[in-house]
Amino acid sequence: MKKASSIEPKNLTAQLHYRGEGNPPSSHPSTAVSNCYPGLEMDFRNVWKHIFEGIVLLEYSNLVTGVEPGADEKIQRLVSSGIQYELISADGIPMTAPVTGPFRHSPEKIHDTISLEWSNALAEILPKAGQFVLCKFQNNNNLREILSIDLKVRHFFDVDLNRNGKVVSQRVVIARELAGPGDLTQSLCSPWQNDYRECDCFYWAASRPDFVNVEPGKDGKSKGNNWMQKDRTESGDKKYISDAEDGIAGNPVLISYQDLFAAWEENLRFIIAGKDEPLKKSVKKVKVLKKKKSK
Amino acid sequence: MKPVNPSFHLFESKGQHILIPDGSRIYKISKNIHQKLEELLEKDDVIEIDRWLIENDLQSLGKINDQPVSDPPLTSISLAIAQKCNLGCSYCYAQEGEFGVKPKNMPLEKAIAAVDLLFAQNMGAHKMNIAFLGGEPLANREALQAVTRYAKERSEAESKRINFSITTNGTLLTEDDADFFKKYGFSVTVSLDGVGEIHDRLRPFKGGKGSYERIIRNVEPLLALQKNMQVSARVTVTPLNLCLKETLDELIRLGFHSVGFSPMLSSPGGNNEMDSVSLETMLENMIACGQEFEKNLVAGKRYPFSNMSTALKEIHRGTHRPYPCGAGAGYLGVSASGELAACHRFVEDKKGYFGNLEEGIDRERQQAWLTERHVHRQEPCKSCWARYLCGGGCHHEVINRGRPACDYIRGWLNYVLQAYIRILDQRPDFFYPA
Repeated sequence: MKKASSIEPKNLTAQLHYRGEGNPPSSHPSTAVSNCYPGLEMDFRNVWKHIFEGIVLLEYSNLVTGVEPGADEKIQRLVSSGIQYELISADGIPMTAPVTGPFRHSPEKIHDTISLEWSNALAEILPKAGQFVLCKFQNNNNLREILSIDLKVRHFFDVDLNRNGKVVSQRVVIARELAGPGDLTQSLCSPWQNDYRECDCFYWAASRPDFVNVEPGKDGKSKGNNWMQKDRTESGDKKYISDAEDGIAGNPVLISYQDLFAAWEENLRFIIAGKDEPLKKSVKKVKVLKKKKSK
Repeated sequence: MKPVNPSFHLFESKGQHILIPDGSRIYKISKNIHQKLEELLEKDDVIEIDRWLIENDLQSLGKINDQPVSDPPLTSISLAIAQKCNLGCSYCYAQEGEFGVKPKNMPLEKAIAAVDLLFAQNMGAHKMNIAFLGGEPLANREALQAVTRYAKERSEAESKRINFSITTNGTLLTEDDADFFKKYGFSVTVSLDGVGEIHDRLRPFKGGKGSYERIIRNVEPLLALQKNMQVSARVTVTPLNLCLKETLDELIRLGFHSVGFSPMLSSPGGNNEMDSVSLETMLENMIACGQEFEKNLVAGKRYPFSNMSTALKEIHRGTHRPYPCGAGAGYLGVSASGELAACHRFVEDKKGYFGNLEEGIDRERQQAWLTERHVHRQEPCKSCWARYLCGGGCHHEVINRGRPACDYIRGWLNYVLQAYIRILDQRPDFFYPA
């Protein structure tokens, strides 16, 4: 793109707010229809999974879900023989907080712990990138067993280091070693599971258009289909089914869970220039491929 | 240099660049774009400028809106621990240390009450600052030391971090002070307005005798002890001490951790205030110091010119603010008698009165201050590209004299922006602390 090459962000705020190289404007957290839980374009929680060298973590419960190849023996213990370990503190910063208070429908009071959100809890660790910090892990089956291991903190942003490991320059881009291919999107909602159908206002699927095959009507209003309508053909009823007026749950004109599990690709299809991609085309392509194969 | 357009500022440094004030964003731009923007400036068509910025993803992000800060936590206080001074500097905002009233010391119980207010109003902040100013704070050494110990003990008991700083004229410093400051990790700033006679002319003892030699003799043990504490020099620039480069070189040679300059823009009787001609000279000399800083940085040598290093780091981060400083927001001054002021300069001044230690912060007055002092309400700041880097200028100086130094501020910022691009290219590691 000509424009991108003639405007080059220099300082940190400029880098943060200018379009990412190679990415569309909708990929910016500020412009995307995103949140972080789980997010629509990407699941931001995933950038923390590899923040400590040697282990892979799961934010929801601070659970160690894996160790990296070549990790030393002490680290290997974290995933050994069916025992589950949770990260409870890093560099003295707790990863959980105690919760006490009334319990619904019960005279009992609740005394428990809740996992903290990592973008806050781990923020103070970031200046220690490149250094070792003391991490404490608790055995899920035996809460008294605490393993203390020094782990190296990875750089969160893409950096250049000199021979001594000192940062000499930094870009406002998430470091590659924190997010391998597919990492950032792997926990997004999936059409072949319940996710798309589950959300009444289609928020989880908001990066997809939900008002499709739209045409201007003679009365000056627009007419089109709800993206989940079963019949989205020319001859079908072009009426947007709204959550408020028509009700989504159990509405027979909409694609059901079962329909999605069985054939989500055929039922949903790509939307190109605002319209459903014609099914025939894709079917034809499949047939051509099959013919070639049979030769 | 005039504020040609509030939407952007163009500058040249190894190619053409643009500063977008909103978010203090800096971009390198091609010659064609630069030419197009020059044309837009010529036409001065606000709608067309906005459209161009939007089309090129450089639009305003609304980083700073018209809303004033409300009910800010109190994270810093300064104590006018001694409202008296042994020097007789003609330009002193505190009128030779006494703020126009009877000289007095702050009683220890008032100082402790001020620290209690800080702990009560910090709203959970983990870092706090206590600054000792005056007058000459070491004229009330006993209370200064006692309240420091009290604040330190309280911070440790509550697992909070507290930083201490002192601005002193250096004449009363002793070796024991050095040990005390080291123990509590003070940032020490010594006011020095030049070398030898130049300093003596501006900062004499009340009897008229020069103070430079005494100060340097007193400061030497502190300079030797710098590790836990930092000892910096602050130079107030008047038409009588415009020889910045010589002053900077000598103070660095003496071993100060950093040296910074600040123009005298408003003094009680108008004595030694900078006029437009002396501000022009100051700008030239500041740039000469900046160029020396650049030369040393590239050669890997230390040259602690704090105006330059602070401005460069703020520009790199894209610092943008609706106020020039925290005065009246997260920072308040406390007078010897326990009145709260917008900052150390507004002690005993009704224009910046914010309540007292007994009744607490006057939130109504504070809110009125924060509304009125917002840079969007200031003229000519609203139409200036430098408004979010400058914040509108020192409240005390602006309220008392107006804004005589806008061209100087813009000229300095324009130079630092150019230097930023050069340093980013040659020494990018400068922007990443060890």
